[in-house]
Amino acid sequence: MRREQTLADRITGSAVWRSVVRHGYPDTQRNQALIIASNVFLHIHPVKIKRYATKVTYTFCLGGLSFFMFLVLVMTGVLLMFYYVPSTDLAYQSMQDIEASVTFGQLMRNMHRWSAQGMVIAVFLHMGRVFYTGSYKPPREFNWVIGVLLLVTTFLLSFTGYLLPWDQLSFWAVTVGTAIGGAAPLLGQYVNFLLVGDYQIGQNTLVRWYTLHVIFLPLIAAFLMAVHFWRIRKDGGISGPL
Amino acid sequence: MAELAERQPGQGYTPIDEAKRQRLLELVRGRAMARPTDLAEDEVMVWPSLVVVEAVSAVVFLLGLIVLSVLVNAPLTAHANPNQTPNPSKAPWYFLNLQELLLHMNAGLAGVIIPTIALVGIAAIPYIDRSPLGVGILGTSAKGRKIIAFTTVYTIIVQTVMVVLDEASDRQQFGLGAVLKDAGMPEIVYGQMLPSLIILGAIGVLMAMVQGIFRPTRREMIIALFTGFVVTYVMLTIFGTSFRGEGQELTMPWNLPLEHH
Repeated sequence: MRREQTLADRITGSAVWRSVVRHGYPDTQRNQALIIASNVFLHIHPVKIKRYATKVTYTFCLGGLSFFMFLVLVMTGVLLMFYYVPSTDLAYQSMQDIEASVTFGQLMRNMHRWSAQGMVIAVFLHMGRVFYTGSYKPPREFNWVIGVLLLVTTFLLSFTGYLLPWDQLSFWAVTVGTAIGGAAPLLGQYVNFLLVGDYQIGQNTLVRWYTLHVIFLPLIAAFLMAVHFWRIRKDGGISGPL
Repeated sequence: MAELAERQPGQGYTPIDEAKRQRLLELVRGRAMARPTDLAEDEVMVWPSLVVVEAVSAVVFLLGLIVLSVLVNAPLTAHANPNQTPNPSKAPWYFLNLQELLLHMNAGLAGVIIPTIALVGIAAIPYIDRSPLGVGILGTSAKGRKIIAFTTVYTIIVQTVMVVLDEASDRQQFGLGAVLKDAGMPEIVYGQMLPSLIILGAIGVLMAMVQGIFRPTRREMIIALFTGFVVTYVMLTIFGTSFRGEGQELTMPWNLPLEHH
């Protein structure tokens, strides 16, 4: 006897649905493979994986959480950009507006701030996990180097964002930070000028750091992450006992 | 079975011996002889086995982040004022280890040379330790884990002693710097070479002790060095965030100005 078509059957059987979703319900191995292979976001994964690679107490999800925090930072960051003005006259005022007048503005700012701090911690811990499990060993040497670059990029992303509120905390933290950079032997004054864009921290610095923070460094990070994730697969998936 | 095989053709039906009669007791679900899958024994499908782990950890983390963000507001102090220097002025917490280092030696050495060497050294690890031994095992071996514990204790003690001693000698490299300075030596000697020697000495003593006690492999020696770096980073960060008050003097955490709590 032919089963009566439910509404769900009609939807999933329609030409529109099948033009978007190229797999059936993932309760067979074939569909479980197709759902990974036919989805641009999921196809970062292989279709099947070693059992030990799914063990949470091996990776503690640290790399994944770092990436997830990056996504949270992109989302909340874009929302903050709608209101934030990178001008020494208006920046602080726009911060106060975000906190006091914008719907969920304070929440977005808090999430952005705590994720930024969390990402620094997660990336550092991820490096520790990879080190202590010996996961940098051949053939993964180059991916370890990419990881070190990502650590530096994370620091820079966090530090460039630090100036933007234009309050006393950010202004003087950046004064101290750029003074450290300016202490570089031989290149010190050039490094300092590169970072500050003036003889003292002001409008030029703010625009510089804003641009680095919202477009340049995120692009670098995305580029490095693309290489990082691709290399994990090319180097044989995440490491495990031999 | 043997009984059946021995039966001669043409012989009639033999009644089954009641004592040997078999009874069906139970059906046991077992692995089929032919596996209907190309998954190896130690493999799982990414959907659902891995995707579920990722989704659950993402949701749990996001909920935690939202709860934290509802409860704790990001700091916003007074409008930036170039004419009013807060005391103490501090870098973001993840750079406070460098700022702490900066108190004890030449700024270029502490702020640029040492971090650069540390980062290049870390990046070089896989080109120094190439043996595949211990991959996938936390700390490589029982010995490796003992080395981690030993190095952690060593570094905590040495860092604390060095910071406190140097503070007691007005940050003059335990007074040695002052001696060299009074002897008319240039800054590069007491501000750069002397601190470099002290740092290399502390690392050298660690390596000698690990070598003497544990007879480590190259991998295990690198574990000692990396652990020393991580613990140093954490210790100096703790000093910088929680124990540096006005004028960057050593103070107890509860004496810090409010915005640094």
